[in-house]
Amino acid sequence: MPQSEVTASRPQRWDVPFGDAMREEDVDQLLQIEPFLGMDAERFPAALPLRGILQNDTRVNHYQDGAIIVREGDYGGSAFLVVQGKARVVLAGLDSDVLGRQPDAKPGFLNSLFRQFRNPQLPEVRSHVTADTDLVANDSLEVADLAQTRVFLQDVPRVLENTRSVVLHTGEIFGELAALTRSPRTATVLADGEAVLLEIRWQGLRDLMRRTEALRRHIERLYRENSLRVHLRETPLLSNLPDEHLEAVAEATVFETHGDFQWHETFDSSASGDAAEAVVAEPLIAEEGSTCEGLVLVRSGFARLSHRFGHGHRTVAYLGKGQVFGLAEAIQSSLKKSPVPMSNSLRALGYVDVLQIPQSVLEEHVFPHVSQQLLSEAAEKHAVYCGEHHCDLQSDSIGGEQAQVETPLLEFLVEQRFINGEQAMLVDLDRCTRCDDCIRACAATHDNNPRFIRHGFRHGSTMVAHACMHCVDPVCMIGCPTGAIGRDRTTGIVQINDLTCIGCSTCANSCPYDNIRMVEVRDSSDAIVIDESTKQPIYKATKCDLCADLPMGPACQHACPHDALVRMDLGNLGELSEWVNR
Amino acid sequence: MKSFVSRRLSSAALTIAVLALLVFWAQRQKSTLGDASFGTGYVLLAAIFFLASYNVRKKLPTLPWASSSDWLQAHIYVALGSAAIFGLHVEWRLPTGIFDSTLAMLYLATFVSGIVGLFWTRSIPARLARVSEEVIYERIPMLRSQLCERAQEAVLETVRSTGSATLGEFYSRQMHGYFEKTRGLGYFLRPNNRVRRRLLAELTEMSRYLSPPEQATCEQLFAMVRRRDDLDFHAALQWRLKAWLFLHIGLTYPLLAVACLHGALAHLFDGGLL
Ligand code: HEM
Repeated sequence: MPQSEVTASRPQRWDVPFGDAMREEDVDQLLQIEPFLGMDAERFPAALPLRGILQNDTRVNHYQDGAIIVREGDYGGSAFLVVQGKARVVLAGLDSDVLGRQPDAKPGFLNSLFRQFRNPQLPEVRSHVTADTDLVANDSLEVADLAQTRVFLQDVPRVLENTRSVVLHTGEIFGELAALTRSPRTATVLADGEAVLLEIRWQGLRDLMRRTEALRRHIERLYRENSLRVHLRETPLLSNLPDEHLEAVAEATVFETHGDFQWHETFDSSASGDAAEAVVAEPLIAEEGSTCEGLVLVRSGFARLSHRFGHGHRTVAYLGKGQVFGLAEAIQSSLKKSPVPMSNSLRALGYVDVLQIPQSVLEEHVFPHVSQQLLSEAAEKHAVYCGEHHCDLQSDSIGGEQAQVETPLLEFLVEQRFINGEQAMLVDLDRCTRCDDCIRACAATHDNNPRFIRHGFRHGSTMVAHACMHCVDPVCMIGCPTGAIGRDRTTGIVQINDLTCIGCSTCANSCPYDNIRMVEVRDSSDAIVIDESTKQPIYKATKCDLCADLPMGPACQHACPHDALVRMDLGNLGELSEWVNR
Repeated sequence: MKSFVSRRLSSAALTIAVLALLVFWAQRQKSTLGDASFGTGYVLLAAIFFLASYNVRKKLPTLPWASSSDWLQAHIYVALGSAAIFGLHVEWRLPTGIFDSTLAMLYLATFVSGIVGLFWTRSIPARLARVSEEVIYERIPMLRSQLCERAQEAVLETVRSTGSATLGEFYSRQMHGYFEKTRGLGYFLRPNNRVRRRLLAELTEMSRYLSPPEQATCEQLFAMVRRRDDLDFHAALQWRLKAWLFLHIGLTYPLLAVACLHGALAHLFDGGLL
């Protein structure tokens, strides 16, 4: 039992401003330009004033010609407003070397070997609970964010010679898609000449949008349109379409969202209702048997592909970002010159963002540019054949080798929404000797505190343990008031900055999988740290950080003697089926 | 991902190849009237050191070289190969002197504990996985006492509400001990469901004399008897998985010490250590 208590001040949202302190006159200047000029300061609560947001959640960045503002593939937590000059969005993928990507610095051999001997004996010991400037300067997560080192694209004209790019002018906003959907940047943006940009971290952007209808609408429009062309180019049959036809397709594409953006608030993994009813209750995007109206592309989120079976619906696959629904039927309708019925249904799992390309547009602008042979091949590849016992998928663009994963396992992963996990911890209970070497390894690498529980939901002998899955859509980040929980820029690993975590439990309550634990912290003499004003213990959110700073990757997997534990992307069912059938 | 079968085949092939080389070398030494004992002895000692070093490796989870699973694979095949080296070293005869016999027994005991342990390691997990609930070993005592309390409360509540002592008496006579006590050594060595079957049969017999509210409690007791049995099953088999390793490691260090001493003595009798 802890011996005593020690007081400290509880961390607050704006303890660590986003950039070098913004002066009052900087904020005044910002308030003179759109979109801030049109905002009604009265609509912001006293605890979260407009000035406060601008002062603490934004920073002004100066870029020289060719400087990289955001890199394709990086995870970003902020959006940018062009204040002066121009920015150029490069739509085609550029190489990592061109983009100046550095491999992560890992600690040396001895350092990583002996770190466990420096661990405190007591659980959850902290030397500091609040971020002060010195600490932040020594903290790698924050440094990555705060030190505004610029990477330049060398020889811009040559690099851009054969690539498509779009220029953004003063007043335009970009980067909001990655910031708000917790997803990687879809394009690289460079300064085109000298430029000044206002970077707004997503917590601030969210609060500004909440209270300014016009900004919300503006950002939604950008969010819908900015990456459309990139997305269309990545779609089968559209990649080589002549520009003018792609433009026509883009014009006619309909944006749709299904389900609830904050789906985790109503999702209850332990609810044991009627499975068939649960499927029917999911928002329907396209129904089996209805006539084919075109192609559906999944932009973000997940959707369930199902086929009627008995009195229920059998899950055939789940579709994620970049996957396509209805291509076989669209092609057949075109070849037969009359619409054919859909052979499966598509339903939103939680929240899904889709693009619909109408059949008439496909027939006018896409299919005539593709050879008959390619069309029949694509139709064959995308067809789903459902027999008495299971459905067979041919295509890797509708979920890889999903057919090899037995249907009950697929149903389990979908039902529990584990499909969201990019680094889920799977334990093969047929091989796990319950030796707890994984737990000991985790504790040894986290100051003696294991960051997962070797327990969880089971399907047969496969268990998904309570360890952070570093989700495709980390809903835990949605409500964090300080941005303490965020993605690592390059790896996408979801990490918690202990110093800026205020212990509000929002992330722990939002995690649909119960993988974040709130802990009371203590000092090295075993005294519990309490808040000096409320006299309540100070809590911190804790979870698996995937041992991002270790050379050998997650210690749990590295320590399992029996190949029973693996960290796996459940979006890649090919990998899962290989693991299950090894 | 490499399948277990192909991993097994390639490791076995490698082990056999290395052993064949060693046998070839030993035969050549013999045919040229040389002595292979020091050679095979050192290889065996090195193998035992390597096998024992897995214990140190496990204490260093942050060691970046090779995963624990790779270490275990190497451990298993080196250990299996060491048996052949041991045979070569003792020329396929058990030694006679007390010291050398002790060493041979220690080696064989460690080896056999390894083989038995490997069999349990590969067979027990699947038996545990067949039980519907997965339990963490350290939590079992707590779960057992919670279950005991719940069973007792359910029965007391029924006695109180129905005014009939039939179920209560049956519970205290036949079932309370089952819920309260831990199982004996016999069960730990050979877990079985005899007691569970007997209790469930008795409870079924009993239920014909019970009123509907008592029968409802009886249903709960059925489930609790099963759950308790599952907990005991987990406790016994998880304990076995821990206990064998304890013995295996316990044998390793005396083996290491005696083997080193044996080597030193061999040099001494061969004409000095240096
Ligand atoms: C003959 C000399 C042997 C020695 C000195 C030896 C020594 C060791 C040591 C020190 C460990 C590490 C235990 C720990 O720290 O957790 C270990 C583990 C193990 N040994 Fe051996 N061993 C020997 C033979 C064998 C054999 C013949 C086998 C089976 C073919 C075997 C199978 C295992 C297994 C499966 C483990 C790991 C168990 C686990 O982590 O769950 N060993 N051994």
